[in-house]
Amino acid sequence: MAIHHREAFLDNLAEQLGRSRKRNVEAPHYSVHPQERVFQGATQEELVEKLEEQCKIIHTSFMRTDLERLGDTLRSVLLNYDVTKVVGAGGSRNEATGLTNFYQEIQLEGYDVHIWDEAKGQENVSFAERAGAGIVFSDITLAESGTVTLFNDRYNGRSISLLPETFIAIIPKSTLVPRMTQASQLIHEEEKKGNLVPSCISFVTGPSNSADIEMNLIVGVHGPVKATYIIVDDL
Amino acid sequence: MKVSLFITCLCDTFTPDVGKDTVELLERFGCEVDFPVGQTCCGQPAYNSGYKSESIQAMKQMIKAFEQAEYVVGPSGSCVHMLKEYPKVLAGEPEWAERARKLSDKTFELTQFLVDVLKVEDVGATFTGTATYHPSCHMTRLLGVKDAPRILLENVKGLNLIDLPMKEDCCGFGGTFAVKNSHISGQMVQEKAEHIEETHADYLIGGDMGCVMNMGGRLRRNGQEVKFLHIAQVLNTQ
Amino acid sequence: MSIKIGHKPYAERIQDGLNNAFMRKAVSSAQGRFRSGRLKAAEELGDWEDWRTLGEEIRSHTMENLDYYLHQLSEQVEKRGGTVFFAETAKEANEYIQEIAKKKQAKKVVKSKSMVTEEIGLNEALEKSGCEVVESDLGEWILQLDEDPPSHIVTPALHKNKEQIRETFMKKKGYTGSDDPVELAAFAREQLRQDFLEADIGVTGCNFAVAESGAITLVTNEGNARMVTSLPDTQISVMGMERIVPTWEDLEVVVSLLTRAAVGQKLTSYITALTGTRLEDEVDGPEDFHLVIVDNGRSKILGTEFQSALHCIRCAACINACPVYRHVGGHSYGSIYPGPIGAVLTPLLDGYDDHKDLPYASTLCAACTEACPVKIPLHEHLIRHREIIVEREKMTTKAEKMMMMGFAKWASTPAAYKLSTKMARTTLKPWTKEEYIEKGPGPMKGWTEQRDFPAPARERFRDWYQKREQRSDQ
Ligand code: SF4
Repeated sequence: MAIHHREAFLDNLAEQLGRSRKRNVEAPHYSVHPQERVFQGATQEELVEKLEEQCKIIHTSFMRTDLERLGDTLRSVLLNYDVTKVVGAGGSRNEATGLTNFYQEIQLEGYDVHIWDEAKGQENVSFAERAGAGIVFSDITLAESGTVTLFNDRYNGRSISLLPETFIAIIPKSTLVPRMTQASQLIHEEEKKGNLVPSCISFVTGPSNSADIEMNLIVGVHGPVKATYIIVDDL
Repeated sequence: MKVSLFITCLCDTFTPDVGKDTVELLERFGCEVDFPVGQTCCGQPAYNSGYKSESIQAMKQMIKAFEQAEYVVGPSGSCVHMLKEYPKVLAGEPEWAERARKLSDKTFELTQFLVDVLKVEDVGATFTGTATYHPSCHMTRLLGVKDAPRILLENVKGLNLIDLPMKEDCCGFGGTFAVKNSHISGQMVQEKAEHIEETHADYLIGGDMGCVMNMGGRLRRNGQEVKFLHIAQVLNTQ
Repeated sequence: MSIKIGHKPYAERIQDGLNNAFMRKAVSSAQGRFRSGRLKAAEELGDWEDWRTLGEEIRSHTMENLDYYLHQLSEQVEKRGGTVFFAETAKEANEYIQEIAKKKQAKKVVKSKSMVTEEIGLNEALEKSGCEVVESDLGEWILQLDEDPPSHIVTPALHKNKEQIRETFMKKKGYTGSDDPVELAAFAREQLRQDFLEADIGVTGCNFAVAESGAITLVTNEGNARMVTSLPDTQISVMGMERIVPTWEDLEVVVSLLTRAAVGQKLTSYITALTGTRLEDEVDGPEDFHLVIVDNGRSKILGTEFQSALHCIRCAACINACPVYRHVGGHSYGSIYPGPIGAVLTPLLDGYDDHKDLPYASTLCAACTEACPVKIPLHEHLIRHREIIVEREKMTTKAEKMMMMGFAKWASTPAAYKLSTKMARTTLKPWTKEEYIEKGPGPMKGWTEQRDFPAPARERFRDWYQKREQRSDQ
């Protein structure tokens, strides 16, 4: 932890700009704010519709369910993908949504399930590397782009949404906002309050892809190849 | 309304008909047209090549030539845009910059003048044939004249206007670029010629003589039968 | 690598480009897709011009206060357990990174796509100190295997076709599959997965740093940047000093502009914002994090008429809109930064000596300026460059200078103008046939090599006008 060569470097910039070093900058007022107009005033239900539409563009399956049927829905998704090895995020939301039970049930049915647990260290990563699906909760969901925002932390390791071939995001309906604007505002507010931003925030939009070979869209490169979003209504 | 014609050096020398049509067209809509004989070239060839001080000499001559004019109208988006850049170029000489600003404020491209100032959308022209229109880069992007030529052409009786594929693409003229980077320019104008071919049009219409000469020259070189015209030549038919 | 690529002179590079039919076809169809994507994305928003205005305002506010925001950024990174190194030159940056590699006894370094590390030649530096460096972006990996420089700043292997890629994979990696892009990509996935897991150090670039929190943001589709920053224990991010925004709210706007302008996506698959080291209770992510902030010639641009060139968000919209780029391809520019932004930036960063032709590789059609999501007046910058080349660097030929002085005299002396335009037809007579010149003399040669030139009219406009006046006077 250190900062090297800063002062001379920044002094030079100030000099180039023809002034002395700035010690304070007032927040600027920009002349236009188009980002606030996108889906302005849309209801939660309308945002769900936008999200569903966008899912078609980003090669992502869209499902809708409620808390009661969440387990069944997940089971059908896993069956559909023919996945038996599952890594899931930890934390209190598993309990609150009944996922803890669900995970126990499918384990009894022969699924290999691993819930992210910091105490298990690197084992988490190596399991994720072999897992067929990773299940996470969306912290903020952006309707416009079809993006799930993940605050990666001790419960939600970066690898869960990255290493398995299939990415499954559980999206509480209440997490839906119009676009990245609202997510950024929230993070900005937290920052101003002095709350640390997570070490990693991942805005994930569908499966990984590339157009590097003759501009052909290839879905699934280094990250997940398939993605499913499950909207949970009463959350 | 008094209008001073800014003919552009290209039209003056190579296509006087465009000037005649411009004069007649303006007169038809009640303008009193004069031609300040002190005008030469807008200076763009030098300015765009980096010869700023050389171009300024041309600019000052043009400012003087048009000082008395009420309106200045020219049949070229590119050259008119150059005139509109004068105040910026002359910013280091406040007195000239002020004179330049006055010139800039009263200068218009022909179709822009017809539609925006004279409020004419139908010039009453009749032109029988199939044509495609190339919207020049400087006219559309720099001067911001996008709709006027289209509006005027759409109202020409008998004219079957076909959309030019990739019309926004530069024809490869670029002033000295056509000479300095002639190989690239040649490929660009060839692509344009192919798109013109695709339209099966009998006429290619443009609003900037530089671009029309470039495209026309390539069409002729290729042995393509397409005839090429300046928009003023189409608008001044009856 | 450095900014400059290859040693061929400009004219030869251009000929190579023009003669490469496959590349031209590939570039042209890619441009078509990029363009329609960008236009569609802009149309969807409806108020794209407002977005551009906002983007421009954010970028220019940031640049005006760059020292302040870089200071804030470095404080925040340090607070979150990271180390910040300010590097004035490429050499300083490379040496610092080599030093880290040595301390870690690193054998393998995986990288995600980064133009600034290309610019400073980091790969070569690390290889010199005994590290194996693996590019993990699919396009970059292909180029690395083939030892070929990038030809585009977003899709670096745009100039290669799938047959060539298959061959490279066969020769260098023992690939036995087909040239189906999906199969090729699957092979890359499998090969690189091992590299990610084994690597000691992950190196990334930085699309935007967020000053208020010290976050480094990476915008990707493939997910390789997430791999690079999740698996190795050490992360080094290298950023050009201008690649910063004040707040998260600003970040959001420039990211939206970037993804839309670049590929027409609302957002790319992954926008990853990384702050410092992993926290104590976290399992993946780096335990050691270094941010290297690179000047390498950028500060010379600050405070000059070219300052807005630093606003660039590297979306390549200008490249995708450029008709010259379409015909000559990226390598013709002789710089890792091709196209209009390359023609503006390269001489600023690397001097005019090797790059004096670039500012002329444009018709000044302004398609670039129109496409740029942060409203950089690219074509005007090209004119400024030309002025410098003429007036300060005095790099143009004597003949051209003479011609332009002649022009000035001609255009500022109506009598001379009148005389010469009157004489023009006669002067060109020997070359004229059927009112056209097909093979012109001297400076006209370039023109007539490619197209016919019309003969000057028999009667100039001004002659006609004068006669007409006389007629009406009578
Ligand atoms: S100059 Fe503008 S258009 Fe070109 S890459 Fe930079 S931001 Fe994009």
